[in-house]
Amino acid sequence: MSATAVLQAPLRRKSRLGGRVRIAAGLVACLIFLFPVFWMVLSSFKDQRDIFTVPPTLFFTPTLETYFGFMQRADITRRLINTIIVATGSGLLSIAAGAMAGYALARIRLKGAGTIGVLILLSRGVPPIALAVPMFLVARSLGVTDKHITLILAYCTFLIPYVMWLMRGFFLALPRELEESAMIDGCSRFGAFFKIILPISLPGLLSTLIFSMILAWEELLFALVLTNRYASTIPVAIAGIAGDTVNGANWGALTAVGTITVVPVVIFALLVQKWLIQGLADGATKG
Amino acid sequence: MTTTAAMAGERKPRSRTATRLADAVSRWAFMAPAAIILAAMLAYPIFYTIEISFSRFDLMTFSAVEWVGWQNYAHVLDDYRFWSSMKVTLVYLVFALPLQIVLGFGIAFLINAEWRGRGLVRALFIIPMVVAPVVAGGIWRMILDPLWGIVNWLIGLAGFAPLDWFGDPTLAMAAIVIIDTWRWTPFVVLIATAALLALPRDIFEAAEIDGANWWSMLWSITLPLLVPIIAATFVVRWLGAVKMFDIALAATYGGPGGATNVINLFIYEEAFRSLHFAESAAMAVVVLVLTMVLTGIFLYGTRKLEERN
Amino acid sequence: MMKFDAAAVSRRALIVAAAAVALSGASAYAQDGLGTPDKPVEVRMIANEAFANQWQTLMVPEFNKKYPNIKVTIDGVPYVELLAKSMLDATGPSPTYDIIIADDPWVPQLATVGALLDLKSPEVAGWTEAGYDWDDFNAAPLAAGEWDGKQYGVPLRSNMLMMFVNKSLYEQAGLPAPTSALTWDQYLEQAPKLVRDTNGDGKADVWAIDTYFVREPLTPTIWQTIMNSNGGQLLDDKGQPAFNGEAGVKALEIHKKLLEYAPTGAVSHGFSESLQAFRQGLVATMFNWGSVYKGSAIDAKTTTLKPEQVSVQVLPVGSTGPGAHRGIWNGAVSAKSEHKQAAWTVIQWLSSKEGEAWHSANLGVFPARKSTLASTPSEAWLKPVFAALQEAYDASEKGKMWRIRSPKSDAAQQVLADEISRALAGQVAPAEALNIAAEKVGKVLN
Repeated sequence: MSATAVLQAPLRRKSRLGGRVRIAAGLVACLIFLFPVFWMVLSSFKDQRDIFTVPPTLFFTPTLETYFGFMQRADITRRLINTIIVATGSGLLSIAAGAMAGYALARIRLKGAGTIGVLILLSRGVPPIALAVPMFLVARSLGVTDKHITLILAYCTFLIPYVMWLMRGFFLALPRELEESAMIDGCSRFGAFFKIILPISLPGLLSTLIFSMILAWEELLFALVLTNRYASTIPVAIAGIAGDTVNGANWGALTAVGTITVVPVVIFALLVQKWLIQGLADGATKG
Repeated sequence: MTTTAAMAGERKPRSRTATRLADAVSRWAFMAPAAIILAAMLAYPIFYTIEISFSRFDLMTFSAVEWVGWQNYAHVLDDYRFWSSMKVTLVYLVFALPLQIVLGFGIAFLINAEWRGRGLVRALFIIPMVVAPVVAGGIWRMILDPLWGIVNWLIGLAGFAPLDWFGDPTLAMAAIVIIDTWRWTPFVVLIATAALLALPRDIFEAAEIDGANWWSMLWSITLPLLVPIIAATFVVRWLGAVKMFDIALAATYGGPGGATNVINLFIYEEAFRSLHFAESAAMAVVVLVLTMVLTGIFLYGTRKLEERN
Repeated sequence: MMKFDAAAVSRRALIVAAAAVALSGASAYAQDGLGTPDKPVEVRMIANEAFANQWQTLMVPEFNKKYPNIKVTIDGVPYVELLAKSMLDATGPSPTYDIIIADDPWVPQLATVGALLDLKSPEVAGWTEAGYDWDDFNAAPLAAGEWDGKQYGVPLRSNMLMMFVNKSLYEQAGLPAPTSALTWDQYLEQAPKLVRDTNGDGKADVWAIDTYFVREPLTPTIWQTIMNSNGGQLLDDKGQPAFNGEAGVKALEIHKKLLEYAPTGAVSHGFSESLQAFRQGLVATMFNWGSVYKGSAIDAKTTTLKPEQVSVQVLPVGSTGPGAHRGIWNGAVSAKSEHKQAAWTVIQWLSSKEGEAWHSANLGVFPARKSTLASTPSEAWLKPVFAALQEAYDASEKGKMWRIRSPKSDAAQQVLADEISRALAGQVAPAEALNIAAEKVGKVLN
């Protein structure tokens, strides 16, 4: 907010036109990116017959049947709840562990921590396909297959490195004097981190959290291998509909479920944005 | 626990060793949770992958039964499909990554303009990331299809012949890059808008008072401040993009021929379709080593850039 | 149906009664095996997500009418991951799943790792009802569950690669509607005439054919069917690749030639895309799995075609006969299951004359039994479909039209998929692609 405000200030002085052009360009970019989404939502109200017409059609008799048909499936509510549990759990766990590690890398002088941090990051180089099977074997010998916690921990393996590295970037951008003055004021290292650093990093923290939850929200491979029924998530069902070998992929259902899975995340992101702007405004008055 | 120790330390005087110990503990406490979770979750799987890559794999027990040295590696390196997959992956990365970073930061700059709809636009911008890959691939197939796709219909209205997006090797690769860029530019936008929001205001105010124009502020203040986060975004995106296979699977099935058969799709098919877990593990190890080397180079570059500021 | 039920129930009652009289211990065991009202048996099944939900909501309640004390839970897994997932589970010390639903080429792979129970073993025979008629199955579908002389699976959902015909497009082109006597020569001669411009804008907008051309494991089945119906085989008598001979190369050339008569972009078409093209009335023929008939001809929500416009038959006749390709879903019991008897009872019922008749009448699933195929189907539209299906069974039996029977079947199929698709995309010549494939498949199988 601050940067753009300032970046825009000279423009404002010269003409408001620049700002308007900029907003218009941003909107155009947004519309281009949203067009496939629009097409998805549109298709979800079509019968299968109308989805693949030549030429493509904007006019059709809308139907809600795909939604009803999909939601009637016995497993869908369970899968939705599982997906929410797993995405929230792994998102929060990885943001906690990852942000602390990122801070350690950015600000705490610690022999060996850099190496560990790089190792953590490099662990992302292992193709997930190679990890899924041995993780399943371990989970099976521990008797924890098909449990939420297994999936949450498995997701942390790819979320934590991302969170750690992104948050390191955000922390590095902060002025060093912040926590130095805090610690001089008698804050412990933890106190400085939680009371000073985290609040001011809120934009980055929340963006990273959203990103982590989205990655967990749509993850397929680990969910396929590690769960059977009780912790199974929506993406597995989506893959099943797409790979329907009996009647062909039901694109009505697929676009409907695509729409359904997008809605909660967008609402969540909107709420977070609102809270974020609010928080920043508060922070600005305090600081 | 460490917090209380640290706080206690402030209240009563202690020996220097105890203070230093408490200090070290409090420092390490930041790193420990991440390191422990990852070590616990990844140590065995990585060991297992390396072990079976040097062994004959037994499907009856899903374990290594006999040490065969470099045989699986020789087998893999001898397969032209491995090399063509590597080439395909390289082409994809070279085009997709810079495109996403530049587009992402550019769009973030545009939509960060101060106006009322900004929050909504930012929230809407994350949608492409949320659409499940298989649905995303399918929708793009619908849009780009030469028969019923709206893009080709529009091209047709303009009087051109429809493009065979998924039948032509070059266009199929272009389609993969487009779909991937559509999916992941929003991630860069998400991180970049946050980074722009978090920039300290006072520096800009000072610069403005000094009469700097917006271009010189962008070039000499904004960009340098953004270097760590641009670098981090790049590294995160790179590590994600190396592993891309879901979009290729959903949109092109790796075809036509093997034109979009990225390395992770090949590894996936070797393991999950052909049940060649040992060869798949060997490829995974090769990819791991290559990724580590390249990531190392990127990190070195990042550090150089960060130090320059 | 009612009569059928009563007969079966009374027979069961008789067996149980006889067993109770003969040996009280044995009867107690039998009761445990099938559960009691107080202590029902729970069996879990891993199946293709494409039909798992339908089975859970419709098939299981029907089964429970007869066996109320066996609780069946079905977990669906997407098709492409189903084999690996089944393998991972079945090879564990105490598998989750008692029943494994395996696709046609998977039975040898699962049997070789010791995951499956021999359904004709004396132990299982003791749990098999006297009226369960093994000889009533068509030979081709039953053979899908066989490996190494043992019967590990029974056909639960049978499918065949067939030719779908849009008769209206043939009529508009002034061509006679194809019959099962149509030869490849005739088909290829007619194909150019079926590519037409119907709206006069100078560009073709209907085509002759759509089918699998994309890089995926089922694409080689098209090529293989053309080869098989012209006397070629995948493997020779010693189990070595023989598909790179003249018949194989010629078949691949024909498969590639089909692209000339297929819609723009067909080289990236597979199961779903060819279905869409056919259902939109864009192509006159389609080689695809028989199970898509209902969604292509009957169900107005999914297709623009009318039932009278669509017919289904075997693929064109080559030098040795018509073509088809087998795709059978087998029901198998996990060798390590703790509820083997109950598990076998489930799939035994579903593959019995009674279960199969219910299955095909209510869920439209294709039967494997001769008696079911010969009976009058519940829906009129199924009658010609059943007739075509019987022809397809016979053709596939005669020409050995199925994927490689081997513990490495899927690995070999993946190699074929890679090379066939490269040839179809014009990246290598057909002969060269097949030579590379032969060398790789040879390595994989040995």
